[in-house]
Amino acid sequence: MLTRPDTHFSELGIQAIEKGLADPAVSAFYDSIMSTDAVQIQQCLKPFLPHLSLCSDKMPGNAPPPIFYVGKESGQRHLFGEDWASPATPACGLRTPDPDLEKASAEGYRKALEGTPYYGYAHTKIQVNGELYEVAFERLIVAVRPSLQSDLRFCAYLGVIQDLQRTS
Amino acid sequence: MHYEFLKRLEGYVPEHVRPVTRAPEKIAPVELKAAIDDANLTEMWDMILTLDYSVSDPTDLSPEKRDEFLNVMSLLLKAFDR
Repeated sequence: MLTRPDTHFSELGIQAIEKGLADPAVSAFYDSIMSTDAVQIQQCLKPFLPHLSLCSDKMPGNAPPPIFYVGKESGQRHLFGEDWASPATPACGLRTPDPDLEKASAEGYRKALEGTPYYGYAHTKIQVNGELYEVAFERLIVAVRPSLQSDLRFCAYLGVIQDLQRTS
Repeated sequence: MHYEFLKRLEGYVPEHVRPVTRAPEKIAPVELKAAIDDANLTEMWDMILTLDYSVSDPTDLSPEKRDEFLNVMSLLLKAFDR
């Protein structure tokens, strides 16, 4: 009988996108962002914004950067719900509600912040509001600046959920 | 006598009044914008306001949308907290 680990995160690399192996939404975002100059970056982001999550470039304690924007159609909003994505009175930075997922996903953000877009696949169990799910998704993380001269950087995350099953 | 009776009622809470659990205080929009500017995050404020909300001033938004935008900006401030 085949067995598989509960959590599997692997980098597929941007070559996989260039070979046409990625989800069309990931390919479209990657192609658009790679063919845009820094002056036009905001216009490039605009059509994809509903599907993106945005986070800072700070990784305190090697944790993924805190999220500040969760697009209306984004995979994270779909997965974790409206209450998580749009807290009425945010008391602290937004993080995914599963600590194991946080830990496993950090490497992708680190690589993106080092300067190369990160494209990878993940299959993992997550806990949301006391319920256990198995989720498989691919994700593209790109570090960008809001303008050519800006000192600021932030990460744009596009996650596409391929499979989601409740296990409890 | 009547006055003394009323004084004793001052601490009375009618039983149909539910105790209020206070949510964290919301920062006023003007103070939030000042904090965003101080943190050098003005570009991000402008970018999200323009790209997602299609206005240049939050006062042009409906109250619900304005609250939503300001909550995103509160998260932005915390996400870049050093």
